[in-house]
Amino acid sequence: MNAIILSAIWGVVMMLGGVFIKNKLVPKYLAVIGLVVIFVAHLNELISKKSLFSINVHNMIRIDNFNLTFIAIVLACTLIYFLLSASDIEKVGPHVSEYFALIFFVLCGISLAATFNTLLLLFIGIEIISIPLYILTGSDKRNLKSNEAALKYFLMGAFSTGIMLMGIAFIYGGTPNASFFIDNFQLGTGKMPVMIAIGLVFLLISLSFKVSAAPFHFWTPDVYDGAPTVFTSFMSTIVKVGGFFAFIRLFQNAFGLIQDQWQLLIVFITIATLLIGNITAVFQQSVKRMLAYSSIAQAGFMLLALFALNDKAKEGILLYAAAYSLATIGFFAILIKIEDYTIDGFNGLAKEQPMVAFAATVFLLSLTGVPLTAGFQSKFFMLMAAVENGKQFWIVIVAVLFAAISAYYYFRIIQAMYFKEATNVIFQSNKPSRFFKSILILTLILIIVIGVYPEVLIGWMYR
Amino acid sequence: MNLTTLAFFLLSFIAVGSAIMMITSKSPVHSVLWLIVVFFSISGHYILLNAQFLAVVNIIVYAGAIMVLFLFVVMLMNLNAETEPIKNYRLQLIGVLAGGTLLLVLITAMMRIDVEQVVQMKIGDAGLIKVLGMTLFKNYVLPFEISSVLFLSAMIGAVIIGKKD
Repeated sequence: MNAIILSAIWGVVMMLGGVFIKNKLVPKYLAVIGLVVIFVAHLNELISKKSLFSINVHNMIRIDNFNLTFIAIVLACTLIYFLLSASDIEKVGPHVSEYFALIFFVLCGISLAATFNTLLLLFIGIEIISIPLYILTGSDKRNLKSNEAALKYFLMGAFSTGIMLMGIAFIYGGTPNASFFIDNFQLGTGKMPVMIAIGLVFLLISLSFKVSAAPFHFWTPDVYDGAPTVFTSFMSTIVKVGGFFAFIRLFQNAFGLIQDQWQLLIVFITIATLLIGNITAVFQQSVKRMLAYSSIAQAGFMLLALFALNDKAKEGILLYAAAYSLATIGFFAILIKIEDYTIDGFNGLAKEQPMVAFAATVFLLSLTGVPLTAGFQSKFFMLMAAVENGKQFWIVIVAVLFAAISAYYYFRIIQAMYFKEATNVIFQSNKPSRFFKSILILTLILIIVIGVYPEVLIGWMYR
Repeated sequence: MNLTTLAFFLLSFIAVGSAIMMITSKSPVHSVLWLIVVFFSISGHYILLNAQFLAVVNIIVYAGAIMVLFLFVVMLMNLNAETEPIKNYRLQLIGVLAGGTLLLVLITAMMRIDVEQVVQMKIGDAGLIKVLGMTLFKNYVLPFEISSVLFLSAMIGAVIIGKKD
């Protein structure tokens, strides 16, 4: 509750701040202060179980340890994102405080999508996440690629929202006792009625679109490539895991009992996502585009949680949210500063900036899933959840094979950084500052701590 | 025949009459203006049914916003006798089919209505603004307030995208 209300309020504060503050450097500090306040208030709620606001929400949202922990992870990742990349947000355009305001609204939407208990709030949450993203994608107005990406994202996103609403209408129409809350769609273990089945498929399609799972991933490479790189970093990490969390909560709470009737659909989507994401990423020359495909590939692994839907899957999605977001945000923060976005642009980075190259290596290793990093633990928990589920064991073998393929395109960058000579200037005008490097080291330490001792995160779930 | 019944028949006469005028008049601008008359008379019906909120919203949204949009489109397209599309026999048939299907659905729905329930609207308070406000600010306060964040972000977007740097 704290996170929802405070981030909405701080979004308004940032927006109005843009009217009075003409200096472009100030909004950054205002945003970081606001996020720290929200984070502390949220931790307070997580520990004391009491919100600052006592509003009778009529059971429309449900707050438990699971989603409070998830929101805390999201807020922490956003804080690191601000610390690493806030100075790059300033360079996108003249409306700096509005960009920050939109990011705060997205945080409000993610908190809502993580706590919803009715389909109405799921819809509003997903929309509050989506609409600011269309704007952030198109915020580089002089760049034609950015305009194209924003328009494409907007049109396709509007379609998928329409499909989601249609699905919600079918589900409300087909629910026998006309109930409003998602728990009550639990229909026993019998065969599901046709109306609910149609609604379920529609919801599955639209949410797969939002998390860019194949075969609904076609917008992802273009949008991630066209958007300003700072915002690609935000929407391929924090927003994506937020969408996943809503996806998993909906299917667990509303359709968990009849899982055997829709599990095969998830198997198909998971395999397709892993296949398309990993195989296409191998052939990319631009690192930014490769990361877009790698985010599809990582979505395939997160879908394993939806396949398994057990306690291990819950732990796994928390770990995956943290591991994937931290590593990708860190790597994107380095990529923004690099002049040439092709893989050759990374040539010789290790000689010029050994510290930055080392951090980038750890981030890439974590994305691959090498032991001692958070990425290993998260992949391990996902696979364990899929094994514990007991059905379709072969999906685990397929997932491991694709994880091995992913090593190829991540290691290519490491190879470029360490074993090739620099041909021209690596960095843009702004070299990594000392502050930037220390935050990179903090991120790196977080990744290794989670990788060695995952109970740091999971423990919050069982308090 | 009391005053309410008289008002009902008067409004119905205006509504049906102007609807017929709308589809028969040659000029598209006249059609749009007749449609506005239809909306106003339907709003009158809503007031007779004690649904004040619906009546006001109908005027604001349909007669106000949507009709202005229609008028703009019609005027921008600059339709006149020469540019009028050729009346196609097949198109007319499709129109009759679509309209006929809607009519069929409406008649079926009307036949299944329990008349007792319909009249309840007149004496009931379901359509009053007070009741609606109570529901919105008690049971649905969270979605209602949160959707303002959605609109706010859309407005910010319109300003960011539309403003000249």
